[in-house]
Amino acid sequence: MNPTLNLSSGPHVRGKLTTARIMFLVCLTLLPAAAVGVAVYGLHALWIIVASVASAWATEFIFDTLTNRPETWKDGSAVVTGLMLALTLSPSVPLYIPIIGGIFAIGVVKCCFGGLGKNFINPALAARCFLLISFPTAMTEFAVDGVAMATPVAELAAGKAVNITQMFLGTTNGVIGSSVLCLLIGGMILWSLDIIHGQICFSVLGGFTLFMAIFGGQGFDPEFLLAHLCGGGVMIGAFFMATDYVTSPVSRLGQTVYGVLIGVLGALFRICGHAADSFSYSVIVGNLFVPLIDTYVVSKPYAFRKHALRIQRGEPRKTLGKLIPKPVIALTVIALVSGLALSGAFSVTKDTIEKQERAKAAAAYQSVLPGAEDFTFLDHLTADYAGKTYGTDFGNVTINEAVEGKDASGKTIGYGINVTSNEGYEGNVSLTVGVTAEGVVTSISYTNLKETPGKGMLCGEPAFMDQFNNRRVTAFVLNASGDNSIDGVTGATITSKASVNAVNAALDFFANVIRGE
Amino acid sequence: MPLRPFNPSGELVFPLSQHIGKPAKAVVKKNDPVLAGQLIGEADGFVSANVICSCSGKVTAVEKRRTISGQLQECVVVENDGQFTPAADYETRRDLTNLTNRDILDAVKAAGIVGLGGAGFPTHVKLAPKNPDSIRYVIANGAECEPYLTCNDQLMRTKAAEIVEGLELILRLFPNAEGVIGIEKNKPQAIAAMEQAVSGKERMSVRALETKYPQGGEHNLIKVIVGADYPVKMLPADMGCIVDNVGTIYAIQRAVCYGEPLFTHVLTVTGEAIAKPQNFIVRDGTNVRELLEECGGFREDPKKVLAGGPMMGFALGSLEVPVVKTTNGLTCLVEDGVELAQKRVTHCLGCGRCTTVCPTGLLPGLMADAVRKGDYERYEKKLYGLECVACGSCTYICPANRPLTETFKRVKAEIMAQKRAAQAGGNK
Repeated sequence: MNPTLNLSSGPHVRGKLTTARIMFLVCLTLLPAAAVGVAVYGLHALWIIVASVASAWATEFIFDTLTNRPETWKDGSAVVTGLMLALTLSPSVPLYIPIIGGIFAIGVVKCCFGGLGKNFINPALAARCFLLISFPTAMTEFAVDGVAMATPVAELAAGKAVNITQMFLGTTNGVIGSSVLCLLIGGMILWSLDIIHGQICFSVLGGFTLFMAIFGGQGFDPEFLLAHLCGGGVMIGAFFMATDYVTSPVSRLGQTVYGVLIGVLGALFRICGHAADSFSYSVIVGNLFVPLIDTYVVSKPYAFRKHALRIQRGEPRKTLGKLIPKPVIALTVIALVSGLALSGAFSVTKDTIEKQERAKAAAAYQSVLPGAEDFTFLDHLTADYAGKTYGTDFGNVTINEAVEGKDASGKTIGYGINVTSNEGYEGNVSLTVGVTAEGVVTSISYTNLKETPGKGMLCGEPAFMDQFNNRRVTAFVLNASGDNSIDGVTGATITSKASVNAVNAALDFFANVIRGE
Repeated sequence: MPLRPFNPSGELVFPLSQHIGKPAKAVVKKNDPVLAGQLIGEADGFVSANVICSCSGKVTAVEKRRTISGQLQECVVVENDGQFTPAADYETRRDLTNLTNRDILDAVKAAGIVGLGGAGFPTHVKLAPKNPDSIRYVIANGAECEPYLTCNDQLMRTKAAEIVEGLELILRLFPNAEGVIGIEKNKPQAIAAMEQAVSGKERMSVRALETKYPQGGEHNLIKVIVGADYPVKMLPADMGCIVDNVGTIYAIQRAVCYGEPLFTHVLTVTGEAIAKPQNFIVRDGTNVRELLEECGGFREDPKKVLAGGPMMGFALGSLEVPVVKTTNGLTCLVEDGVELAQKRVTHCLGCGRCTTVCPTGLLPGLMADAVRKGDYERYEKKLYGLECVACGSCTYICPANRPLTETFKRVKAEIMAQKRAAQAGGNK
């Protein structure tokens, strides 16, 4: 009865929750999304996940061993990083990409800054951005069954219709972890278990939706907003990336500020910048603000908050309603969003997009046929060509619409033809060509030009556009020497070519269909 | 585990400081004969409390001895004659017909009653706030939120009527107050017993509380009852509250109705290391080792023996120390959480769990960061670090095993010392 007793300050017992257990839970909630990814995109997706997780884990192990640091590889945080990185990669990337990504994420972003808890930006996202810069082609190529296609967000940005149901289930082309349903369920589980902070994920989603609704150009259109929420990593960003403990603020107030910041930046980048990766960048920018937020945005203790001060002054208390348990809210949200997305009611955003296109088109017709007062749609002529590639000499072009423009006295002053070339550098190029009854080009006007700034976008400048004005040719030729030559924009041959092809297709349509009717 | 009285056979040691405030003055000297219930240390000053002998025998020394807090303190040492002869009749109920408020306060003071929840604040001081009419609630603290401890649960089950009578006596002092007995929901029998005891009584109710550490903290009880937290510079009385542990209230009933001073109280001996965990009605001054031996000794060598529960209790360096008034538990742990945590400590993840669990609404993660950077200004002014009540919740929950509470206790002591030094300098 004479034991040696330890002397130390309390508490003398500790909770069961460890870092390893938290990481395990996060992995578990990411697995459904990964499984759907493998099911949809095939076995190669699985190899990408394995490669990414293995390289991240191995890097941490090697770093711990070489530097003789505490063995943090055991806590599984590297597995979470590897898994998250894999889920943000295209299912068609070669295997060296996830391996390099894993090494960069853990080796450079995490370990070099002091290991778990010391990195200042999310390692998985930092690695993703590093890969985007290093391997732009492989990283932005999304192929399903060997056919490269644009992602829904790219299509959305290009003003095209998207299938929300497919985006929600993750069966469309995109990154491996694009199943919104699985990510939503996983995120909601983490939130119910108090692993992630609701203040962060919900303010990200709220900030994003609100900003998109106000500045997205489509108002509070549920179809448009839902499509944006379901695409481009908003879900994985909100629930798994932004909520990363190390790179998010500690106080509730700070977390809300941080969440809204990321949501707003994500929407802003998506509207003004390159659509597909906007969320990766917005989360990273948000991460960079965390030290600042943690320094200045801190909440006061309960005793110093308004409610308490009122009671301390002896004013009567206001009773708060009983809170609804988190799992109930989580289930309701999942059911509600799934119902909306899966019902098909909002599955296509076509109508709204068409309306917008029409308005743009009308403005274009006005500009290419300045004297016209009245426009008649020549739908009976264009109907046959709708959605099909027009002709054989103009590449992949489509005739969208044609109008006959008449002046106040009812005299035909010319025709406007709207054409899309699908061979722009970053997507589609649409333009309207104005032609007089005699076949002279009045001018052209772009209805969709979202090309590389400083290069393809220069096609929208008068220097290029005005070359077409008041010329009468059968077809223009890019960078030739004859009468029909057009000088292309230096460094933007593809966009110039697409534009010339579109104009030529319009002229051909004028000569052979409108005139030849 | 029912309450069992325990009469020790060895010598008994009575520290003269078992309370917050000035130590008592010894009123006996070596070789004086003493009886159980006799005054041996007299309150010295306003915030101080009497010390009562709990056995009959002879004073063998008034000297410095090691106490339960690990310090050397002036103690009265009594050789126990094993008779426990009482100094007066504590079994006959007194006539209370002409009892005045003054009589109640005097009885409480004479009995040497202090807060038995652990802090040991002299109760007669607590019961005499500046403005008794402004007190709206007298809260009987039966939450007993420390894990392992069950003696107050037992006390409420067996002495419900006595506790209610004690609460009635306190309510006499506060005409505008309502008596609330707060008990955590994990003690249904105690709740039932107390509910039965208060039925038909005016100005009194039982409140079942969520089982959640630190529910029994003074701040938390007041927060639940009044609806708001208050800063450390305010007293419970400023919030219109008087909070007393149910053990204290029982002691008040004994003192007023039977004239019995405080020399026994309830105590839980528990923990994985102890052979036969039990609840006792223990005499003050009992040797800790003797009490543990009464429980069959250790089944397994303990890593730690705590006075109190595992969250806020403090570790004993030696078993040769006496039980004092405020010792409500002896917890013998086989596994030392602090030792394990020291081995597993990692960087802060910033998970924010400390913030979620902090009953005061502080940001322990950022506080620890400010301490690490030596920015005490930010710690105190921006993060309200001095509001920490040292409940230990943040340290308990921390997945990175960081010693948060320990840091905050140390920093608080440092800052307070600096302030005192600055004040002393200013007074020159």
